[in-house]
Amino acid sequence: MRALAAILVVLAIVASSCGSSSKSGSSKTILIGVDAPFSQSPFIGNTIANGVQLAADQVAAQDLRIGDSSYRIRVLRLDNALSPSQAVSDTRRALREHAAAIVTDGTGVDATWQLAAKEDVPICITYQGGSRLVDPEKRPNVFRIAPTDHGLAFRLAEYIVPKGLKVALLTDDSDYGQAGKAELEDAFATLSKSVAARITLPANANDLAPQVLEARRSGATALLVWARPAVLAKTIAAARSSGWNVPVFSTPAAEDPVVRQQLADHPSWVDGLTFASGRMTAELGTGPWSTFAASYETAYGPTYVGVRTREGQRVTAPPDYAMYSYDFVNVLAAALQFAKGTDRKEVLAALNEVSAHGANGDQRGFNERSHEGVVDDDVYFARYRDMTFRPVSDDPLSSTLPVIAETQTQ
Amino acid sequence: MSTPAAAVRTGAALREAAVTARANWSITASAAVLAGALAAIAPLVLGGAVATDTLASGAYLALAATGLGFCVGLAGVPSLAQGAFVGTGAFAAAHMLRHTALPAEVCALVGAMAAALLGTAAGFAVRSLDPVRVAVGTWLLSWLVALSLAALPWLSGGAQGLVVPTRRLFGLNPTPLVHYELAVLLTGLCALAFVALRRGPFGLDLAAAARHRGAAAALGVPMERLRVAAFGASAFVGGLAGGLAVQLDVVADPTAYGPLLSFELLVAVLVGGATAALGPSAGVIVLGLIALAARALGSLASVSGSRFQPMLEALLLLAVLTTGGSALVPAVWDLARRFLPQREGRHVAARSGPARPAETLRAASLTKHFGPVTAVDEVSFELRPGSITALVGPNGSGKTTILRLLSGAVPADSGSIELGPNDLTTRTPAERVHAGLVRTLQARAYFRELTAREHALVGVDRTRRNGGGFRTLFSTPLFRAENEEADGRAVAALEALSLAPRAERPASELTGAEQQRLMIAAALATNPAVLLLDEPSAGAAAADLEQLIGLLASLRARGIAILLVEHNQALVHAVADDVLELEQGRIVRRTPRRRN
Repeated sequence: MRALAAILVVLAIVASSCGSSSKSGSSKTILIGVDAPFSQSPFIGNTIANGVQLAADQVAAQDLRIGDSSYRIRVLRLDNALSPSQAVSDTRRALREHAAAIVTDGTGVDATWQLAAKEDVPICITYQGGSRLVDPEKRPNVFRIAPTDHGLAFRLAEYIVPKGLKVALLTDDSDYGQAGKAELEDAFATLSKSVAARITLPANANDLAPQVLEARRSGATALLVWARPAVLAKTIAAARSSGWNVPVFSTPAAEDPVVRQQLADHPSWVDGLTFASGRMTAELGTGPWSTFAASYETAYGPTYVGVRTREGQRVTAPPDYAMYSYDFVNVLAAALQFAKGTDRKEVLAALNEVSAHGANGDQRGFNERSHEGVVDDDVYFARYRDMTFRPVSDDPLSSTLPVIAETQTQ
Repeated sequence: MSTPAAAVRTGAALREAAVTARANWSITASAAVLAGALAAIAPLVLGGAVATDTLASGAYLALAATGLGFCVGLAGVPSLAQGAFVGTGAFAAAHMLRHTALPAEVCALVGAMAAALLGTAAGFAVRSLDPVRVAVGTWLLSWLVALSLAALPWLSGGAQGLVVPTRRLFGLNPTPLVHYELAVLLTGLCALAFVALRRGPFGLDLAAAARHRGAAAALGVPMERLRVAAFGASAFVGGLAGGLAVQLDVVADPTAYGPLLSFELLVAVLVGGATAALGPSAGVIVLGLIALAARALGSLASVSGSRFQPMLEALLLLAVLTTGGSALVPAVWDLARRFLPQREGRHVAARSGPARPAETLRAASLTKHFGPVTAVDEVSFELRPGSITALVGPNGSGKTTILRLLSGAVPADSGSIELGPNDLTTRTPAERVHAGLVRTLQARAYFRELTAREHALVGVDRTRRNGGGFRTLFSTPLFRAENEEADGRAVAALEALSLAPRAERPASELTGAEQQRLMIAAALATNPAVLLLDEPSAGAAAADLEQLIGLLASLRARGIAILLVEHNQALVHAVADDVLELEQGRIVRRTPRRRN
């Protein structure tokens, strides 16, 4: 009986310490909710949350002082399971716990932004690139630090078309693919001579050979695939297994470890895959990125892709999507200091005024007319070789970027 | 009628209803009211432990599960489509809210109607299937709806869902607390409706059909129509829950109404208790606890708790189904009853029904082929009022087929059946029972858990005029008055077969001979002109046979025409007025044995 009482007392103490206290000793706590698909897409969810946590830890270490108070940042992980209604529920919980901001992959933002807007809580999207998600006029509390679908589509068009390639636009029937399809239609609207075919890939199909064959028969000399990672892998497999060594271009989905894992039996098939993504380094060189990547790896260890190079080195994934959530926390910290307090309305307004050094060396910030933290010009191209990728040399921006190490000798 | 007079009558009817309610008030009713009150104050009691929006979502889930109880609990049909109906209601309401200025409640009601439409269509499609096929068919419907939502972004809003504008609900700001209280109120009303329907003819007929389809069909229970109605009602409630929940969520989420939701709702109903009005709600609470357990397991394994939740739910369902354990609410109720004083059974006096005119049944040139086999070949005979005609012959001679042709269980290839001036040849079994032609089955076919009185009431229900769903739900004065009469007529039917002392016993506790007599009593309760009996002496001991002879004689004395298919020659010799001998589907001999 006494043991039970002791357990209950310990539980009560633990429970009380777990509560969302806004004040702990002399320091105060700022809560950031991370609403991401931890259960459905753990790689994306954990990457986003790790970026937030890393920034929170660094802010705490540097002693975030606003006025006379010292602040630390607490991170609340909420799993939206890619469900908009779950995202609403998560947002309500974050608001109940007085979150200062919500960082999300973008799931359910159409519904959640209004709930957060009522309480002047900013939402930052750090993964999805849909154009209509961010609108400073209609959704003044929604920000994004991630490449936009629009930027990716136009950069892909301006990179591929001058090469004189006839491109088959392959989009899958997932929401991701359909959003990309709309952006590609827009980007290639005046370049119809460069488009050989527009083909929809069934996301659940096991074999995409018929669609790839259709692309080949259309006279295409390049494939532009905007699809989920697994579908991209199947498309490449269908092309290469038929002996068609056509150039393949894609989106940041190509960075996902799933692509390389699914093609691990045929590493040469991955060679040449070219994709657009947000750049990891800026004009300042590799210094900022290296510092960030080292901190990330120290905190969470390397993210292994699950494949090796031909020489047997383990391939790691650079934490570029963690960079975006990391950057937002630093921008938020700057806004808190600018607002000289935690008044939500003032912090929300301050987010349009401040900027912070991003993990890649860029200045990250927003203004009243643009809530996009990654400009379209920051989109670069990388190409795979031996299971790792490096910036291409035939694009003015990309050619200036250094190679990021992605291997570990073991 | 003048308005004041109508008001006076309405007032009197309401007073009478209140008196009846007080007289019938039981400890169960008190427990239900207490449960409702506790549910209503749950947000205050639980404080910050559980968020009000989570409670409100759970309460809407309870509403949908209670609706599913109409299908599973009343009709005994394991529907796995309730999630699809909830989704239909949600998306229909969401589109109404987005594209019209209609009030929020009206939009929810439109959602419920859309779901009811789909439910009625689904019920029609599976109306005559066995439970396993119903489960598979409805499971496919769940997938169909989920896949349609995934494939049609213009309908579902795509990955972001369909954002719903918030609108006042019954004049109130639609906060999670308002949604919660509304959901609890609607769940309570739905549970009351469940109780009313379960006790009335609708529920009794469905219960009978769920336990023995053949016997229920022989008594004229319109099973298929009732099943369709149960599906429609179930879907309506599910759609209403969806139409309101979507306003709580502010988004219609295409990922939220998949087959898993249907599975969870069925688990809630089966675990909580399909036959108890509050069982589904209790099941939803259990699912909530399972979600907490899954979360705890998930944190131990460093993965999301949602990965464990369906697994734990399936394990719980398996445990309930394979151990044969009672569901939660019935088990608790059985336990509580041991400690509660038993109520005295209400004495009901026997009443006779309206006299039916004595009429002769004429079967002319009845013929039936099963493939190349001619089972019945140009058979003609008459059954006169107050007579017993025995149909004898070797196995396979066509005796039972003739009974099935007469009762409408199978259609005749040619020939005619007339009862008095009515041509019954193309009528359904239910219409034939209504016209006065009823049959009992060969085997000991009875409704296992139903009492003897309820068996008789299933028969009486065929003659009721005011026992429809609406009157049952609102317990109108006409319904209540007819109820008393029905009870009296059920007792009279039981008395006629010497079963009145066993009225409150479940049929499964009666002897074999009593069970045979019970089904005759149920048939007699339909107030028939013609009674078709298929081997009523099967398995009867000598003493039972004597009793049966006396009972058949008394039925004949009432003016009922009886067709007796019987192997027992002693019984035939004792009671038959005419004997028809069958061989290979033809009547080969007619022997008048007694002159009336």
